[in-house]
Amino acid sequence: MGESSDDIDQMFSTLLGEMDLLTQSLGVDTLPPPDPKPPRAEFNYSVGFKDLNESLNALEDQDLDALMADLVADISEAEQRTIQAQKESSQNQHHSASTEASNFSGAASLGYGANVTATSVSQYVDDLPPPPADPVLDLPLPPPPPPPEPLSQVTGGATSRASLTGSKLSFPWSGLQLVVKVHMDDNSTKSLMVDERQLARDVLDNLFEKTHCDCNVDWCLYEIYPELQIERFFEDHENVVEVLSDWTRDTENKVLFLEKEEKYAVFKNPQNFYLNNKGKKEGKETNEKMNAKNKESLLEESFCGTSVIVPELEGALYLKEDGKKSWKRRYFLLRASGIYYVPKGKTKTSRDLACFIQFENVNIYYGIQCKMKYKAPTDYCFVLKHPQIQKESQYIKYLCCDDARTLNQWVMGIRIAKYGKTLYDNYQRAMARAGLASRWTSLGTVNAVTPAQPCTGLKTGATQPNGQIPQAVHAASAVLEEAQRQAETAKEKRPAPGNHREPAAPRAHPAPRASLPPPPPVRRSSDTGGSPAPPDDFLPPPPPPPLGDAELPPPPPPELADSPPDFVPPPPPPPVLAGDPGSALPPPPPPPPSLRPECAGPSPTVAKRPPMPPKRHDNPGLPAGGGSGEQDFMSDLMKALQKKRGNMS
Amino acid sequence: MAGMKTASGDYIDSSWELRVFVGEEDPEAESVTLRVTGESHIGGVLLKIVEEINRKQDWSDHAIWWEQKRQWLLQTHWTLDKYGILADARLFFGPQHRPVILRLPNRRALRLHASFSNPRTVILSLPQLFSGIRHPEELSLLRKKKKKEKEPEEEVYDLTQVVLAGGVAPVLFRGMPAHFSDSAQTEACYHMLSRPQPPPDPLLLQHLPRPSSLVDKTQLHSRWLDSSRCLMQQGVKAGDMLWLRFKYYSFFDLDPKTDPVRLTQLYEQARWDLLLEEIDCTEEEMMVFAALQVPGGPGRLGVAGVRASIPLTPLLPQDSLTAIPELKDHLRIFRDGSPAGELTLKGYRQYWVLFKETTLSYYKSQDEAPGDPIQQLNLKGCEVVPDVNVSGQKFCIKLLVPSPEGMSELYLRCQDEQQYARWMAGCRLASKGRTMADSSYASEVQAILAFLSLQRTGGGGSGNHPQGPDASAEGLNPYGLVAPRFQRKFKAKQLTPRILEAHQNVAQLSLTEAQLRFIQAWQSLPDFGISYFMVRFKGSRKDEILGIANNRLIRIDLAVGDVVKTWRFSNMRQWNVNWDIRQVAIEFDEHINVAFSCVSASCRIVHEYIGGYIFLSTRERARGEELDEDLFLQLTGGHEAF
Repeated sequence: MGESSDDIDQMFSTLLGEMDLLTQSLGVDTLPPPDPKPPRAEFNYSVGFKDLNESLNALEDQDLDALMADLVADISEAEQRTIQAQKESSQNQHHSASTEASNFSGAASLGYGANVTATSVSQYVDDLPPPPADPVLDLPLPPPPPPPEPLSQVTGGATSRASLTGSKLSFPWSGLQLVVKVHMDDNSTKSLMVDERQLARDVLDNLFEKTHCDCNVDWCLYEIYPELQIERFFEDHENVVEVLSDWTRDTENKVLFLEKEEKYAVFKNPQNFYLNNKGKKEGKETNEKMNAKNKESLLEESFCGTSVIVPELEGALYLKEDGKKSWKRRYFLLRASGIYYVPKGKTKTSRDLACFIQFENVNIYYGIQCKMKYKAPTDYCFVLKHPQIQKESQYIKYLCCDDARTLNQWVMGIRIAKYGKTLYDNYQRAMARAGLASRWTSLGTVNAVTPAQPCTGLKTGATQPNGQIPQAVHAASAVLEEAQRQAETAKEKRPAPGNHREPAAPRAHPAPRASLPPPPPVRRSSDTGGSPAPPDDFLPPPPPPPLGDAELPPPPPPELADSPPDFVPPPPPPPVLAGDPGSALPPPPPPPPSLRPECAGPSPTVAKRPPMPPKRHDNPGLPAGGGSGEQDFMSDLMKALQKKRGNMS
Repeated sequence: MAGMKTASGDYIDSSWELRVFVGEEDPEAESVTLRVTGESHIGGVLLKIVEEINRKQDWSDHAIWWEQKRQWLLQTHWTLDKYGILADARLFFGPQHRPVILRLPNRRALRLHASFSNPRTVILSLPQLFSGIRHPEELSLLRKKKKKEKEPEEEVYDLTQVVLAGGVAPVLFRGMPAHFSDSAQTEACYHMLSRPQPPPDPLLLQHLPRPSSLVDKTQLHSRWLDSSRCLMQQGVKAGDMLWLRFKYYSFFDLDPKTDPVRLTQLYEQARWDLLLEEIDCTEEEMMVFAALQVPGGPGRLGVAGVRASIPLTPLLPQDSLTAIPELKDHLRIFRDGSPAGELTLKGYRQYWVLFKETTLSYYKSQDEAPGDPIQQLNLKGCEVVPDVNVSGQKFCIKLLVPSPEGMSELYLRCQDEQQYARWMAGCRLASKGRTMADSSYASEVQAILAFLSLQRTGGGGSGNHPQGPDASAEGLNPYGLVAPRFQRKFKAKQLTPRILEAHQNVAQLSLTEAQLRFIQAWQSLPDFGISYFMVRFKGSRKDEILGIANNRLIRIDLAVGDVVKTWRFSNMRQWNVNWDIRQVAIEFDEHINVAFSCVSASCRIVHEYIGGYIFLSTRERARGEELDEDLFLQLTGGHEAF
């Protein structure tokens, strides 16, 4: 126990962080660095409190005290249960696995949640190796879950969703951590702990686990600056905390988790960037076909030599003049060393070029709706600025292209010039990750696909969740479809965005939320692009709850807090849940049942679970937004506990 | 055998007299006359010649060269008839290996014995000789330029005496191949091969010919020797100078550890390409190239030039090692906008400045220091630009500090080099998010001081003209690092700060890292690796330029320099050469056919270039050091080769 107390301390302070988050429900909050050196020997609550007091001024004292009291009590209880659970778990592993998703309603319901998680976690630990993907393989293919069930549960008001397998939080780490609220493409959010060593790749992996999306290479973390109307991908090798630390305290900036085909477009169709012969420009999408072998050799040639080859790119762009709303057309050229332009009356030979900007100290962003905001000639803008600049400034450079294709070429070209081979390495890692995921996806696919179809059909066309850059998205999608991905995967992915939204609805239900401070409305820059369709409407009315609403715990889980109030309309999204996973996510058969039980929360005993198909991975699709963050966190916590126990025994 | 006579002295067999000159194509040379028949074997003839000469000597390297046919008679079992030799043949009995002077990519000359009878051994023996030029197939030989002006006498390193151990890879001895460690001269030679040369004299740079147009750039490529024919066949004489250059810009598996000579020579070729404007770059790029040539940085500081005993103690807290080091001092600060005068102090005000971790704070006076500073700046992510004029005793640090609202500019003015170096090093580290506690702090300070000292002795001061060799020997002359057009564009004192600025990003690189970076930057230039030829496309009435790169052919407008069309080798089906009308015809996928005749160079050279690149592209697949020479010759050889 002596050892485990460390962990508990850590988790405890992390818990406090969660509470903080709940209370403030800000996009990103800096957690007080959890006590760097928790006392070794003892389980010392005072540490937690101290941190709390220091850091969480915003929290009201009363709430705090109450919460803390609960927490303390619950945690010790949880410990006890864990041990029990462990024993139990060995007996019915599969079943419990499915149910692991516990609904953590937040601090208040923590006690209940703890129990649930404890059991579920223990199973994981037993069955599943830490890598999230693997566990799935072990599990027998679950029969497609009875659709009605999920519905019933949702109606019940429980918002929990299956949580995921172990996250990567490393407990011994005591450095800076942020709770990052990530906006999913269904308008829900998930809160993640990100420590200062984590790269975007790690965070993505984490999100993959939590969402059970298909893990394809297009998924990215995406930052948007509503104020400046700019946005960009995180590159996979970027340190997330570092990027976020440039944001101001009161920022409106957001982190999104969504699919962007532009992210690695160059690796899927290098010919569109490297073989852009003149004369082809006029064709709309001269989407030159190229066989895989040629693509590969082109990539190898461009990225695997002694130095990376930056695509040859030149042409007239509009440049926004400093501080004015006027745009000047100039002839720009991209070179590995920066962007250059041809001064008036000069030729475009190297010696005449004037340097416009070098990439060392700037990041590249897409500009959104610059036409309206800055009177840009078109909406195909890209922006270069120092990452620390957060307000309008003459140091931000705006450039405007004639069309989406050109825009994408410039943005990609600049990224290649700036990041070089790292970009390719990132891609290969992403591919490896996706490959891993697709392997087990294919196992489940059969079941999933069929049910999913209907849903996809409905949603796909109408709503484009990634509205950010509508134009870009469309163009790109048209272009990029074929190639690399297997047909099936592609199919599944596409619809996914549409589906995702629905899950958001369920959250809204829980009225109880009211007490909590209203979370900031989740809105994306995307709104600009497309009409944010209310997802709920589409959802079929929830089927009657077969299993038993009765089971559902009365107290709505506090997690709901996260759910944006906007959606409040009574969402009967349950059907979606069933459908979603299948359609949107590779692991098709949604094991809705598993979800449900958790929702039930407190009562979820082992006994109930068995009926459910052990499909937890399916759920991923159900980005039920709000709660998942906490749940994961709790399950992590429990898992860690479990491990400790295991070691000791 | 041949030469049976009757008593009267008449020959009764079908023998005839064959006259063979001894020596290397010298008509005045001594000659021997033999009686031979058509059935005589070459081996027998050789024996007779030696007997006839009757001199004790090692003749093993000698062979017979048939002048009219420009052919070596190397098949000793062939008969004279089989070769078709009659009495009127002019034959020379001479050594197959003769001395030539090889001019390396670093423009140094090397005398060595080269095979005049085997087409490829010159190149292929290089790895053994230099022990470290792997992939010699990327190299080739150029004929010397027609002499226009006399180039300054060069020191020639002599390797003719070196005896190579046969076969095996050279043994390393004292960090160099054993055969180089024999004598001081050969040792010096190895250093010449494996270490970068000092910057050239700017005056020389100005006088060397530079291409002024694409057409000029085609000249170089008309001089490539044919790799499928031996030197003798191509009219090379003993003692001639040949240029050795990387011909194919496809550098396979460049590894600084295993082949320092190759890396260095490649770096040198790149440097001269840039200095002589064979390849164009922008001003910013030139500054980076210049900075990478600077012999500075911890790895690059030679023994000289650095004062090792720079007192660092004052800036490190003596009391404890755990404390975070800080800098505090009175400095002049100028905010917002640029200071008016170059050397004046106008606009600067003195503050008490405190620099701790990555944060810079300044106060009106030291007394107020515990209170709130006038301004506090976190330098993380900021741009640090040196603004220094050593001779003018101006030591400024320009800081461009990003903040959410934009960038703010701040000039710190230091009193002397020492202060400047400490603060500058602190700022640089801070901009990367590191503090002065970082282990690289001391070396950073050293690097800055070293660079300043180079400037002090160099052209940083008065010189508006490139200085002669005397001055440049001492310190850094920035004109030796940039192409001559920048000599015209900038005064030396303008140039130095620019190089200095670029230098700060590369100061920490070791010598090989700097070389590699240099090569990479060179490869990143858009025009990199294109060899130009003037051609006439079929159906076109004017000459155009054909560029050949490692992956594509480029059709370029001669007058404007615009790219008209690009064809990639990966789409190429086949190419043919019609030797009679000197036309190259290429077929690409989708039935695209291109044909052109070569104007500026023989079509052999174009053909060999294309074949060479195709050959080199096969290397990836067959990973291995073994080269398929036959394939190379098949791809590059002309009809004679078969």
